[in-house]
Amino acid sequence: MKVTQYTRDVLLEVARQKKIFVEGNFLKLLEAEDGDTEFAEYLQLCKDKDITSRRKRLDVTKQVQSQNKALEKAAERNAALMEDLKVALEQAEKAKTEAEESKAEAEKLRDDAVEDLETLQKKTQFELVGRIVKVALIVIMSVGLITTLLFAYTLVIGRENPILESTWSNLFGILLTNSFSIVGTIMGVKYATGNKD
Amino acid sequence: MIDSILLVDDEDLFHLVFEDACSLLDMTLSLEALNSSDEADKLFKKWFYEGPKEERPKCVFVDLNIIGSSFDGIELIRKINTEYGNGVVIGIISSSDDHQEIEKAKEVGAQFWIIKSDEIEPRLEDFLRDYDGYVKKTAPFKVYR
Repeated sequence: MKVTQYTRDVLLEVARQKKIFVEGNFLKLLEAEDGDTEFAEYLQLCKDKDITSRRKRLDVTKQVQSQNKALEKAAERNAALMEDLKVALEQAEKAKTEAEESKAEAEKLRDDAVEDLETLQKKTQFELVGRIVKVALIVIMSVGLITTLLFAYTLVIGRENPILESTWSNLFGILLTNSFSIVGTIMGVKYATGNKD
Repeated sequence: MIDSILLVDDEDLFHLVFEDACSLLDMTLSLEALNSSDEADKLFKKWFYEGPKEERPKCVFVDLNIIGSSFDGIELIRKINTEYGNGVVIGIISSSDDHQEIEKAKEVGAQFWIIKSDEIEPRLEDFLRDYDGYVKKTAPFKVYR
């Protein structure tokens, strides 16, 4: 495409004064008149500048494109790592929960064992106390019975013995008092133990 | 030089690369770039049913996987070749080198397959040399590696 003299002059003037040159595909359409070396040189300069700037832009774009690809790959790798991390975290959480459950179960078993032991100890203590009470009652009742029999015997044969009389009454009184004291103590201990539980 | 080229590719950066490479190789004066196969489909439908057919590009480069589109590049080529009257030099430009996909493209009438890489210019230069053969339908299907 050939341009008018006026357009040619304007283009050359703008290039001289403002350093602005025609660029892009439109430039490829422009032609200089035969013999117009000045405009031909101008068009060649415009083409050279256009090629240089396009080459620069192409290089930069390619570089950006390549960096984008690298970033995309890195992002994919990061996503995969994050996924692995998430799985590992989930597994750790699961293991932690399982450990906590095991610990709770172990504590429950320990508490049950302690409770069983305490029950056993109490049972043993109760049996011991029961045995002591039985023996004490037997002793008290035996002493009381023997003294009463002796006293009754002296009454029957008519040979009253004042020592035996006072002994019987004193002994009976003491044994009665002591037996109530023992029963009271046992009841008290039992009550205290019961409250403690 | 090719009268007009249409590029269908979802990657904007590649539009710039392709435009600059075409300009440096003096491939064309008229280059239009679209981001989706749906847009291209609409245009070809319009040109085919309403015209003007002269507005259709002479050569179409289609990416294989166009993100954000209803169908891929191979389907677009099939539609252009079978539903919208054919008549353009058309092929795939993709970073994929999948043999099965290449065969599929060939079956639907793609005339070439250009593999995208950092150095696209030598492949476009080779393509430009074969272009007349594609227009005349005499050149065989070719993969530019």
